[in-house]
Amino acid sequence: MVEAIPRSRIQIVEAVDDYQAAITLAAKPLLDEGFIEAPYIQAMLDALETHGPYIVLADHFALPHARPSEAVKQTGLSLLLVREAVDVKTNPVHVFIVLAAKDDQAHIKVLGGLAEFLMEPQNIQDIIAASTRDDVHTLLKERWTLT
Amino acid sequence: MKILAVCGFGVGSSLILKMTITKALRELGLDAEVVNTDITDAKSYRADAIFTSPQFVSDLTGSVKAPLYPINKYSDKDEVKQQLKTLFNQN
Repeated sequence: MVEAIPRSRIQIVEAVDDYQAAITLAAKPLLDEGFIEAPYIQAMLDALETHGPYIVLADHFALPHARPSEAVKQTGLSLLLVREAVDVKTNPVHVFIVLAAKDDQAHIKVLGGLAEFLMEPQNIQDIIAASTRDDVHTLLKERWTLT
Repeated sequence: MKILAVCGFGVGSSLILKMTITKALRELGLDAEVVNTDITDAKSYRADAIFTSPQFVSDLTGSVKAPLYPINKYSDKDEVKQQLKTLFNQN
């Protein structure tokens, strides 16, 4: 994997109806590029209802994901920035990164970089302040270290 | 000292939490082994402490022996540090 999230899988929108719409939209590039099939999106939504909002890993940030399954064809990530905060079970969220993991190993390296990235709250603030897809893309490339 | 980081599937969020705990331990100058797993395996896993979400703390209460430490945001290093301080002060 040369970069964590390619430009084609970054989206910016003004607002969405609710967190279900946000997660569905955030996952769309992975669906369109054949990384996942539709049942994976439902699995992510079901997980949020069953397990609660722990996917809100940092202020204003969520990592929707579900268990590796046959609905995941390839490990990958996609990003959605929503200008107007989305209410994820009382947590305001602007940045959604969908994780599709094909197995329990392939994504470990990329998540290591994400863990470091998220521990610095300024990084999420800077994504929220980004004006274009290119800005988000550049920021991720500069600050999300792939090992 | 073995700390268990727990989430629903054991693949994404708990891995992030494990990394936050590892970094927080290092910054505090403390030593512990950190392992991540899912909510089902957590019930049969032997650990000295379990870090997980408030909802999973409720789910695990009564079915595990290890003390449970709720973490609201798995990437919040300060929140994790507070719980680590509580844990290490009790041992």
